[in-house]
Amino acid sequence: MALLRVEDVGKSFGGLAALDGVSFSVDEGEILGLIGPNGAGKTTLFNLITSIFPPTGGRLIFRGDSIAGLRPHSIVRKGICRTFQNIRLFARMTARENVMVGRHPRSRAGIWGGVLRTGGQRAEEERIREKSDELLALMGLSGCGELPAGKLPYGHQRRLEIARAMAAEPKLLLLDEPAAGMNESETCEIQRLILAIRGLGVTVLLIEHDMSLVMKVCDRLVVLNFGRKIAEGAPEEIRANPEVVEAYLGREEEGEDRDA
Amino acid sequence: MPLDWLNPYHLQVASFILINVLLGVSIYVTLSTGQLSLGNAGFMSIGAYTSAILTTVHGIPIPAGVILGSGLAGASGVLVGIPALRLRGVYLAIATLGFGEVVRVVFVNWETLTGGAVGIAAIPQMGREILAVLRESGFSPETVGLRSNQFISLAVFLILLAAALLSILFFLRLSSSRAGRAYAAIRMDETAAEAAGIDTTYYKVLAFSQGALLSGFAGALFAHSTSYISPADFTYHRAVEILVFAVFGGSEHLLGPVFGAMFLTTVPEALRFVSEYRYIVYGVLLVLMMIFRPQGVIDPALIDRLTGRGPAGGA
Repeated sequence: MALLRVEDVGKSFGGLAALDGVSFSVDEGEILGLIGPNGAGKTTLFNLITSIFPPTGGRLIFRGDSIAGLRPHSIVRKGICRTFQNIRLFARMTARENVMVGRHPRSRAGIWGGVLRTGGQRAEEERIREKSDELLALMGLSGCGELPAGKLPYGHQRRLEIARAMAAEPKLLLLDEPAAGMNESETCEIQRLILAIRGLGVTVLLIEHDMSLVMKVCDRLVVLNFGRKIAEGAPEEIRANPEVVEAYLGREEEGEDRDA
Repeated sequence: MPLDWLNPYHLQVASFILINVLLGVSIYVTLSTGQLSLGNAGFMSIGAYTSAILTTVHGIPIPAGVILGSGLAGASGVLVGIPALRLRGVYLAIATLGFGEVVRVVFVNWETLTGGAVGIAAIPQMGREILAVLRESGFSPETVGLRSNQFISLAVFLILLAAALLSILFFLRLSSSRAGRAYAAIRMDETAAEAAGIDTTYYKVLAFSQGALLSGFAGALFAHSTSYISPADFTYHRAVEILVFAVFGGSEHLLGPVFGAMFLTTVPEALRFVSEYRYIVYGVLLVLMMIFRPQGVIDPALIDRLTGRGPAGGA
C-alpha cells in the first residue's frame, strides 16, 4: 500500500525548474532511496514533502490525504519527520533536550501545566525523558545525554538528529544524506540504524550519495536528474540502467576523455 | 522608634528596582523566542494608562484596574505580535520601537481621556489605599512602630516584591517545561523547531503577548506606586533602558535581565554624589561590557557554576 504518493510534482524558483513532473510512491514499510547527481532536486523534494515551501504544481498524498498547504509542524503531526543535509541541531541544548524537543508534537502540557507543575505535567515530563533516553540508546548515544549537542562529534550529531526526528514517532522518516562525511565504520553504523528504524515499522525515504550504503539498505530506488525522474526500480536494475550511469558518469566519449 | 531605619526614600528606590525587574523579565520572555521587541515601553504605558483611568475616573478598585490594564496590554501584544512575525532582528526592533512611539503620541494627543502631555495625577496609590482600609478597621501603623509614610512605602515595596518574585518563578518554571523548550528551540533554529513539530507561530505570538502583558502589569503597578503618570514616563528612553537591562545583564538566562535591572537602577542612585557624571559612568560601563563580556554579566554557564550543576539546564 502506498504511504506517500508524489503525483506530477513540480517546483520552480523564478524561471528555474528545480523539479518537473515527478511522480512515484513510497510503500509502507520499505526503504526507498532517492538518488541523483548534485542539484537533481532531491532536497527540494524533501522540502516540498515537509512543506518548507509549497509545490508549483502536482499533488502530495500521505495516507490518502493531500498534505499540500499544511504548515511544517502539521506535517510532523501527520507522521512525517526529517533530518537536514546540513545538520540543524539546537546546539546549546543538551543532546537529551534536543530529543525532548522532538517529543513536542506527542505531548501536550501547556503554559499552566508547566508553571503549576500539575501531576499530569510531571508524569508527562517523566515519559518524555524516558522516551528520549530510549531513543538516545537506540542511536548509540547513551552516555551523551547531558552533553551540549553542539559539542558532540560530527557522527554523533548526525545520529542525534535522527533520534530527534524519531521522537515524534513518524510513520515516514526522511533522511537527507545521513552518511555524508562519515568514515567507513560510521557508515556501517548508520546502515545498521536505518535497518533498525525500519524494524520499528517506520518507512524510510533516504537521500544518499554513498552508493554502497544505498545498494545495501534500499528496497527500491528513484533516480532524479535535473529535476526529472529518470529511473525507478530495484537497486540492481538501477545499477544496470544506462541512463543512470550516464547521469552519474557522463557519456561514454566524455568518460574516455577524462580517462585519457 | 525601633523601625526608624526603614527609610521611605530607600523603599521607593527599591520599588523602582522591582518595577524595572518586571520590565527586564518582560523583554527576556519575548527575546527567549528570538524576537527583539522594543515595544515594551509602549505596552507598559497601555497598562499604566488603562489602570490609571479606570481607577481614577471610573472608581474601580486597584486590583481590577491592574488586571484589566495588564490584560489590555497582553491583547495589544497579540495584535502587534501577529504582523511582527514577518519581521526579524533589527527590523522587528525598529517596528516595535515605532509602535511604542505611536502609543505615546496617542496618549499625548487624546487629551479628553489621558490629560495629554500633562498626564494623570491623583491616581489611587496602593500603599495609601491599603492604609485607609486598615485604618477603617481600627489598625494604626504606629502600633507596629511605623510612621504612616513608612507603612505606605513598605506596603508598595512588598506588593512589588511579591509581583516580581512570582513573575520570575513563573518564567523560570516555564523555561524548564515543554513550552520553554519550544521557546528555546525557536530561538536557536526556527526552521528546525518547526520541523520538530513545534507550531512556531503560536509560540512566537504567545511569547510576544506574554512580554506585553508583563510590561502592562509593570506599568499598572508603576501608576499605582507613583500616583502620577505622563507620556514622558514612556518615551523611547524607557524602551532603550529596558533593552539595556538585557544587554548588560545577559539575555541567555532569565536572571540576566533581572540582574541588569537591579544593578542599573541602583548604580545611578548610588552615584548621586557625582550626579553630573553618572550617565558617563553608565555609558562607560556598557562599552566595557560589550568589549569584555558581550553575552552580558549572567549566562547559563555562570548559573550552572553557581548552582553547582554540570553543563545542563533548559533556560
